[in-house]
Amino acid sequence: MSDIVTARRLTAVALAMGLIGLPLLTNDYSQYVVNTILIYSLVTVGFNILLGYVGQLAFSNATFFGAGAYAMAIGMSRYGLPFPAAILLSAVVGGLVGGLVGLPALRVRRYALAIVTLAIGELLRWGYIHTPWLTAGSSGLEVPDISILGFAVVEEKHKYFLFLALTAVTFWILRNIMRSRLGRGFVATRDNELATAALGLSPSHYKVAAFALSGAVVGLAGGMFAVLLGRVEPASFDLSQLLLGFSMVVVGGLGSLLGSVLGAVLLTALPELLRNIPGLEEIAFSVLLIGCLLFLPQGLAGLVRRLLPSLHEKLFWE
Amino acid sequence: MFAQLFISGLSNGSIYALAALGMTVLFRATTVVNFGFGEMFMAGAFVVYVLLKIVGLSYIVAALGACVVLFGLGAVIELGLMRRMENAPHLSLAMMTIAISFLLKGIARVFWGREVLPMPPIFNMPPLEFGDVIVTAQDLVIGGATLALVIVFLLVFRFSWLGKIAQAASQTPRGAALVGLNVPKFRCTIWAVSAAMGAFGGILVAPVTLLYPDMGGQTLTRAFAAMTLGGFGNLGGAVVGGLAMGVIEQMVGGYVDTSLIDVAGYIVIIAVLLLRPTGLFGRKELVRV
Repeated sequence: MSDIVTARRLTAVALAMGLIGLPLLTNDYSQYVVNTILIYSLVTVGFNILLGYVGQLAFSNATFFGAGAYAMAIGMSRYGLPFPAAILLSAVVGGLVGGLVGLPALRVRRYALAIVTLAIGELLRWGYIHTPWLTAGSSGLEVPDISILGFAVVEEKHKYFLFLALTAVTFWILRNIMRSRLGRGFVATRDNELATAALGLSPSHYKVAAFALSGAVVGLAGGMFAVLLGRVEPASFDLSQLLLGFSMVVVGGLGSLLGSVLGAVLLTALPELLRNIPGLEEIAFSVLLIGCLLFLPQGLAGLVRRLLPSLHEKLFWE
Repeated sequence: MFAQLFISGLSNGSIYALAALGMTVLFRATTVVNFGFGEMFMAGAFVVYVLLKIVGLSYIVAALGACVVLFGLGAVIELGLMRRMENAPHLSLAMMTIAISFLLKGIARVFWGREVLPMPPIFNMPPLEFGDVIVTAQDLVIGGATLALVIVFLLVFRFSWLGKIAQAASQTPRGAALVGLNVPKFRCTIWAVSAAMGAFGGILVAPVTLLYPDMGGQTLTRAFAAMTLGGFGNLGGAVVGGLAMGVIEQMVGGYVDTSLIDVAGYIVIIAVLLLRPTGLFGRKELVRV
């Protein structure tokens, strides 16, 4: 038993050192791709709370992502907030939007929920385009360069360490939440709403909490996305953004933190490789999705779990 | 102006009605909502384009050919993919249809990239004028063809065995199989028919909207709005909802603001689902505990 614990700790230390040392191996472009991967791991894990842990067919990742990104851009460029306040604002706005979007989930379910969340997202995107006094419309809003405690964070490698810290802390918090009463409540709601209610727990509370938590995590990622690109445009949060996050969750593995990272890594890197041939990206995505649905219903995380049983996560989607 | 908006609303709306009907037929028979239905539209239109421009067939033959090709595609999708997921949760089924839509869009993009292709009008007739209302031949063709198809479907589903089989196969597939219905074969047929209906819609609408790989997305959201408005799973409701959706869009665009045309469908979806989730004609869903 202690051998396994030691092995795990060693793996964790090696992983941390690898992640910290990574910028030694990258140039500006590959560092940018790595930064994007960090952001999408947060998007995927946040969206996975809804799809995988609570089992709600909600199409909300692009909505929360956009809300967080616009909170960051508007907070910094219109109100002159410093970065730490603005990134907090991204998460809070994301969480609020999440809670609001979650309310219809108490009334409609399944496909109707998918459609209504899709509609809310597109409506919000229309709002970004048609309120130029706030969002600068479809041309996009500039995000000023950021600095933390007087230290300018402009280069990709500097952003990397900032993003890595934010991502690592968020994952640590989420891992603990998923093992807590709240996380178990999420899974109970997913597996059997009636039984959950019969145990005296309120599925409604868990659903709204999951939407708010998902919104906060994806909103935070949106704030980072705004910093990464230096500009926020409505077109970034359209249907293709939604389907990208959706594919990452399915390919990575529903209801798995590890799977969320794997899905984000694979599906961020893949389009970069296939960029030059139009259409190939979509075909590759569809092949991966179909392959996972038919042969790996638990995604890449299911594969890892089969090969390395020691990485077993509890509360996995069975 | 009201009459003109109403007429063009009905013309657009009949396309939405057709799409909503195609999706509802599938939903009723298999409980799958096809998020890739827009791509059936797109595929149908592109097949017509290829047969018309590259192979050089006449319009009618090309249109029939496209319906046949999509009929086959629908059957292949059911046999190759959906049948293997028979017992999967609705989340996975939705994902599978999204994956199919990726695939079709990707294939179209490999050949046509980001081009926008024009499609010749079906008939070159001068527009008819009734007072100050102008009706184009295209409007008449779209409206007439859709209406005919819709009536046939409603009659078949209401008065023939097929309607009963659809209900049986979706409510209790096992029970339907026990009384001797070939449920897998029935599902396969419905997938094929639904895909062919999508192609039919795509052929009608392509001369108006032009051809491009992403052309299906707009139709899909309108079809969702129509289905929601008419009551999810209600055949007649889908048709009325589609026509109403077309008219609402035109009225909102004409009297309030043209920029609202794009989001009218979304507003309708949200309003209906929050105020009356069963839609105009839907019945309350009974859940067995």
